[in-house]
Amino acid sequence: MPVYYKWTSETKQKRKHDYPSLEISNHPLKIEVYNVKLSANKSFLESLQKWSSPFEELDPLLRFEQLNVENDLGPDEKIENTINYPKVWNAKRTAILNKYTTGEKLTIVSSFLPGGEKISSFSALLRQVSNLNEKVKNRLEQLDDFDESSVRKTMGLSQQEFVTKIHMLDDEIKKAWDTEQRVKAFKIAIQCSKLLSDINVMQFYPSKFVLISDVLGNFGALVYDRLKKKSFGNVDIKFQDIDSYNVPESARETCQNWMFKMASIRELLPRLYMEMSLLKCYTFISKSEIKPAIERLTKMIRGIGNPLVAIYVRVYLCNVASSLFGKESECYFNDNLKEFLEEYQQIICPNMAKKFGTQLLTADQYLSLYIPAVDWLLYGTLNYTKCKDTLLEEMLEKCDTTENSELLLCCCVSGFDSTSIIKQSTAIMDIIRNQSDHMVLLSQILSSVGEHLCHAENYCQLPSEALSQCWWKIATNMKSTENFLQVLEPWLQFACNQLSSQHINMILRGTIRYMIKCGKPAEDYCSQIQSVIKRMLKSIPDVEELFLMDAFMPLVELAQTSNARTAMAKTVLTIFFERYNAVEIEDHIIISSLMRLCCILHDSINAVTVEDENKVCAELINKFIHAVSYYDDLEQQLNFYVECRSAFIKLDSVLIALVHAVNALAVRADESRGRWLQRACAAYVFVTVPSLQCPLARAQLYLLGGQAALLTGCIGQAEANLKTLVSLIPEIPQFVQEDGQNKPTHDRVVGLLSNFLSTLLILPDNMDSNSKAYILSGFIKTMERIHWKKTDPLYYTLLLRSLDLLCEMTQESYAYHIDGVLSNDELYGSEEEFIETIESHATNICQELLVVLKSLGDAKETKKQYNLALELFWRIVRRGKLKDSSMTSLATNLWALAQKIQDSNNKFAKALLSVLEKDSSEAGRRLLTKINTS
Amino acid sequence: MSASLTITLKRASKVYHEGETIAGVVVVDTTADLRHEGLTLSMEGSVNLQLSTKNTGIFDAFSNNIRPINLINTTIELAAAGKIPVGVTEIPFELPLTPRPHGPALLETYHGVFVNVLYTLKCGMKRSFLNKPLHTSCQFFVQYRPQERAPAKPVRCEITPATLRAAGGGSGARANMPKFQLYAELDSTVCALDAPLTGKIRVDECAAPIKSIELQLVRLETCGCAEGYSKDATEIQNIQVGEGDVCRGRDIPLHMVLPRLFTCPTTATPHFKIEFELNIAVVFEDDYLVTENFPILLLRSR
Repeated sequence: MPVYYKWTSETKQKRKHDYPSLEISNHPLKIEVYNVKLSANKSFLESLQKWSSPFEELDPLLRFEQLNVENDLGPDEKIENTINYPKVWNAKRTAILNKYTTGEKLTIVSSFLPGGEKISSFSALLRQVSNLNEKVKNRLEQLDDFDESSVRKTMGLSQQEFVTKIHMLDDEIKKAWDTEQRVKAFKIAIQCSKLLSDINVMQFYPSKFVLISDVLGNFGALVYDRLKKKSFGNVDIKFQDIDSYNVPESARETCQNWMFKMASIRELLPRLYMEMSLLKCYTFISKSEIKPAIERLTKMIRGIGNPLVAIYVRVYLCNVASSLFGKESECYFNDNLKEFLEEYQQIICPNMAKKFGTQLLTADQYLSLYIPAVDWLLYGTLNYTKCKDTLLEEMLEKCDTTENSELLLCCCVSGFDSTSIIKQSTAIMDIIRNQSDHMVLLSQILSSVGEHLCHAENYCQLPSEALSQCWWKIATNMKSTENFLQVLEPWLQFACNQLSSQHINMILRGTIRYMIKCGKPAEDYCSQIQSVIKRMLKSIPDVEELFLMDAFMPLVELAQTSNARTAMAKTVLTIFFERYNAVEIEDHIIISSLMRLCCILHDSINAVTVEDENKVCAELINKFIHAVSYYDDLEQQLNFYVECRSAFIKLDSVLIALVHAVNALAVRADESRGRWLQRACAAYVFVTVPSLQCPLARAQLYLLGGQAALLTGCIGQAEANLKTLVSLIPEIPQFVQEDGQNKPTHDRVVGLLSNFLSTLLILPDNMDSNSKAYILSGFIKTMERIHWKKTDPLYYTLLLRSLDLLCEMTQESYAYHIDGVLSNDELYGSEEEFIETIESHATNICQELLVVLKSLGDAKETKKQYNLALELFWRIVRRGKLKDSSMTSLATNLWALAQKIQDSNNKFAKALLSVLEKDSSEAGRRLLTKINTS
Repeated sequence: MSASLTITLKRASKVYHEGETIAGVVVVDTTADLRHEGLTLSMEGSVNLQLSTKNTGIFDAFSNNIRPINLINTTIELAAAGKIPVGVTEIPFELPLTPRPHGPALLETYHGVFVNVLYTLKCGMKRSFLNKPLHTSCQFFVQYRPQERAPAKPVRCEITPATLRAAGGGSGARANMPKFQLYAELDSTVCALDAPLTGKIRVDECAAPIKSIELQLVRLETCGCAEGYSKDATEIQNIQVGEGDVCRGRDIPLHMVLPRLFTCPTTATPHFKIEFELNIAVVFEDDYLVTENFPILLLRSR
């Protein structure tokens, strides 16, 4: 292989390329827009399914989705025929367990729970002396068996311990049942139900009820299943299909025995609970007994003097009934609700007041213990009642006439549907107003009335203003700020839906006044204020209008601590941009308000802020920057960007967005007004970019800035940008941190520099400098200076690209130009000195490539070597002057090298050869023969 | 080698009426061939009477136990002496349930304190000299045939401090008694045994808080004859119908299922009497107790 080849480029005469081409109708780079709607759950599922189909395992996300769909479908199907009460109750059950918790110590009375320590010490002992003979072991175990007759009282249990104990009892029942100790199981169940007569630690009572009713349900199921098995073997028969005539005598006898046992329980409450849990089993004796039994039980519950205990017994009865009869059970809900209403005064009898007083509960807390139960009874009743409006009227009348009717009113308001409540809203507000000064649960009632009113359609004729005024009067007299804000939330939405912005503004002003008057720092209610504002932002028809109210921004900034302000600003901005549907913001007031919020957001960022937080902030601020538009006032627009730069200097991605925006502005600027704006823009970019952290981002922006400057004819600025870019190349790291991962910059650098090289083609040379192709020379020098690994694909790819550029630069007329910019072809007119400089660069690069080829060979990177050899060969064929003998021999040698090391996949070589064969030029022919002979 | 005897009745409830046939099988389960000297089955029914210790003074001369009254006693031979093969052998039997001619009529099974009416089937296997005989027994229950439902006899009463016959305390107790007015009602004092006892109670007014409202079923057993007898009232069961300070002016239902075996139709014979009473008790918070007593007649009726 000769050591030195001089590169000479072929000057193409024809500019039109003669590559095979196809006629097409649309542009290949045109983006096709698909309008895919993902709204329906189903299609979303399908798309998920598509992605996960290659995996055998179901995609976990998909599984969740499927669950959701199943859940969604469940009730939908039922709505046509009946409501699935157990399912609805299940949801309620969880809510109760979450809501009614306590930190108080609880007590459990049972003879079936071992003293924890005793049993553990014994089993430990047993483990220690495991080599004891069987007899001794047996005796020890017998000792371990606690005395059944003694009732133990375990006090001072925490809530969690209590729950565990209940679960233990549940397990104990199952264990006893499985070991044929059915009477023991029965006794445990009775003791469990007895726990429900204890109303110490009242605030836990609803949860306790839920836990114990589960245990009783399990017990009932055990009895039922056994009787079913006794009657029908393992046949899976539904409750509805059991006919007592088909039940064998022995099973019927067993069932009868259970009933006698149950009927002889001395105490009323356990007897009621046990009968309910065994209610299902009546079907083995006679199905017709069940319904009269439910009616009888409904009346027998009157015997329970404690109203809290009584109503939860009613709930259990309704649950059992609904699980047996579904839709048909709704009349029992109705009956039980009526019974409850008859005894309503029991709730507030002085006796109970004393009790909850000694447990340090407020009347609010006390009454809220009843809410889930009354809600549940009302729920069934509502489904039972055909005309809800009349029922509501009756209820309201009752509320109006009875004293202390807040519990009932509260449940009515939350239980009935919005249309009924809206119809009666005036009446309800009247009741509230009349009783407001001593009403418990006031805020809850008011806020749920508000929630209902939020659903009011615009067209329905509501005395909105009167309602709102009435509400405002009641609300401003509320003592607790928390309650006030709770009530404010829905009512403000109502105002947003129904009333004018003046009215909303008045409410906002009033709110600020209230907050100041209440004398507590607004920070304490920060999250509540935030949700109020969130609600308002979401519900107001036109978001912009809010910023035009004079009370809005002060309310947003009511809380003074920086944390509170930041959170508030973030919420407001997020929702604003979610709801804001116009593309551009032009109103100055809005812009300045948003600017203020963005500044708050930006100022919250400090050294310890996490990256995600930064990202979120930057995204919001970027949205703002993109949205602001001053239309034709470009100067104002640039001023705005300058202002933004100084305001958001801490966020790199905002700066990047600003640079992009300014570039866009520069291009948009009309030339007729003089170049100054473009120059100002270019200067802006040039000044802004250095403050960025990441060299790669900087490099990209420099390139873009250069291109923009070139496009607007600011050649000096373009050159400055590109020059800085060249000097920046050594700084670009191999990896950048992104999303917490190190990502190689390799591909991006190739893209960036290729782009840069293409830009260089049109950049006019700097006439003041003494070297031709000033920037390019600088670039080549930089390339030499950086000690890149020779075998690095990045390195030789860039060399190849540079070679491409150099070849193109020797042409008489370049492939592309920018209007108004004199490129080198016109500048030099293929002057000899210029061409020579270029060719010498090309020769050097070619030389360097040969070195690379050699070192690739040394490093045994055959594949890369093969590709590079062919690439270079191809460049000689296409761009080199083949008439030149040195070029031809280089080509032949490269071909020979490629042939020598070619691997099985020589598609590339074949493709090149076939093109070469088509070449009709003389030099081409000669090369072909040369290749073929060698 | 081991063998066991069990009696299994065809009727799972083991309840029979006079004149019916008791059918079942005797199951012999043996691990080897079993040689025996005869297998017999006997049916026995008797009334056992016991005098309460309270009254023994009068009867000291006699004993505490009065001789049981025999109601029925039949024995049949199920198998003559022979051999029973290894495994499970079922020997069916049928026995008519009829009283002894000229003897007393059959009574319902009843488990009480001083009076017990018991019916048993006993099976015995006599075996050769060296082996112990095998025995097993099985109770069964006798009930009267249900008669026509008697017309209901409702009772109602009001309980106020004025209606009380204060026990013990005299007028002093009455003075500091809280003001109350209760209304109670039984749907019928003539009750069918297999239907629940029903009624209602209403607290119209009560100054003191109520702790509990209870329903007490009491049996009255009388033993002996003209020359001297003992009469004792004992509780069968106590059922709570109201717990805590119940709502005023509301009807609280009374509902009691009569327990099997411990109740039977009200009976009077020359030697003993079984009667029943119902007490309604209202217990105040300070454990002060007000009761009202209703004698009731229990019948086996449809």
